[in-house]
Amino acid sequence: MEPPKIWRERRGKYLVLGILCQDCKKKSFPITQYCPHCSSENIAELKLAQTGKILHFTRVSQTAEELMFYAPYIIGLVELDDGIKVTGQITDTKLEDLTEGMKVRMVFRTLSKNGEEGLIGYGFKFVLI
Amino acid sequence: MNKHFQGIIMSKLGIVSYGSYIPKYRISIEEIAKVWDDDPNEIISQLQVFSKSVPGPDEDVATMSVEAARNTISRWKGNPQDIGAIYVGSESHPYAVKPTATIVAAAIDAEKELTAADLEFACKAGTAGMQMCFGLVKSEMIKFGLAIGSDDSQAKPRDPLEYTAGAGSAAFLIGKERVVAELEGTYSITTDTPDFWRREGAVFPSHGNRFTGQPAYFQHTVDASKGLMEKLGTKPSDYNHVTFHQPNTKFPLTVAKMLGFTAEQIDNSLICKNIGNAYSASSMLGLAHILNNSNSGDRIFMTSYGSGAGSDAFSFSITDEIEELKSYPLTVEYYVNNKEEINYGKYSRYKGILRC
Ligand SMILES: [Zn+2]
Repeated sequence: MEPPKIWRERRGKYLVLGILCQDCKKKSFPITQYCPHCSSENIAELKLAQTGKILHFTRVSQTAEELMFYAPYIIGLVELDDGIKVTGQITDTKLEDLTEGMKVRMVFRTLSKNGEEGLIGYGFKFVLI
Repeated sequence: MNKHFQGIIMSKLGIVSYGSYIPKYRISIEEIAKVWDDDPNEIISQLQVFSKSVPGPDEDVATMSVEAARNTISRWKGNPQDIGAIYVGSESHPYAVKPTATIVAAAIDAEKELTAADLEFACKAGTAGMQMCFGLVKSEMIKFGLAIGSDDSQAKPRDPLEYTAGAGSAAFLIGKERVVAELEGTYSITTDTPDFWRREGAVFPSHGNRFTGQPAYFQHTVDASKGLMEKLGTKPSDYNHVTFHQPNTKFPLTVAKMLGFTAEQIDNSLICKNIGNAYSASSMLGLAHILNNSNSGDRIFMTSYGSGAGSDAFSFSITDEIEELKSYPLTVEYYVNNKEEINYGKYSRYKGILRC
């Protein structure tokens, strides 16, 4: 990943921020400039719940060059305790140990490494509780 | 104690909150010994270590620092914007240039009005950070300071260090409000002693084998511990718990005995048996574990050791604020028990020894 992208996205990726629309009161993720529900620009930053449950998951074996170091890995759709659905990796586990509905917690991990000399991308993943 | 100052609130200086993190993966001494045809029983009896912690492929010193820092903040329930300094002590920072402390600051939402830096002093850089925070808070330059010790140490395959080089992190929030462990005093020893080193650009550290013991670990730990107790007029029997740097389990047990501490006093700190040497986090994880098992009125002694060489000694007194923080679920004990054993092949891949 390029420096401007890492810098721009760090709050969203590190702190897992979404938005709370001040007009329709609906929550959404990730941060956008206007509400995806009603298109209002009257929005506020929202810190999402740190725990949730797995809705779906799948194993990824073939992926981008900068992610091959981590492959195979598991991607899951997680419903956070505040109702927001978030896609993220489920780490420190194996496919055979997972079932839908399992409780997870957010952790801070490396997401990508740009070779031996480039920047390291950090952000959230999930682990089983 | 403050009777003579009736009406004046003497503000305490000390630890306000604490947090820890240990990666999930473990490799046993037996599994490593099998690869090199060593006798595992001989090694286990020498080191009194049974397994060591191994970070997953998506973990490094920054991620472990953030986990320990977040546990510290969540346990505290304060506002991270009030943190005026973050210091991360490590000998395995992910970048040679680009501070881990900046990543931690962003990940705990402490940006951007604060000072921050990465520190290196082998296994005592984290306690050096604690001393810096105590100084800044005491002089009222900052309100709260966060000191972290975190390491994911490398050991050359077949080097004796391979059996113990583990990983983990511990963080302490220093301040004057709702202090759980009041600082009674701190004292340090520093000398130029070449017992362990890693040159810039080298992947693996080198060491002076037996030289790492007597003139290095033992001399510095004893001198700093004795020096602080002399300064405070205390003796080992005044303390309920003690923690030292744990390069293995035998060293802290031996130094405790040399100083006159009992096995019972040090027992609560000995996490090395299960996770190996967590380097900068080693004595600090011992302290975090002790705090979670201490009660109001307890006194705690800690001396770190960093090769190169130096020791920082601390004396703490536990306040009744401790009770509120003890129920936080992600404790040292939780992480010690949350584990999965891996074989040497997986270990080599996770540590980056095997590359494709
Ligand atoms: Zn809306």
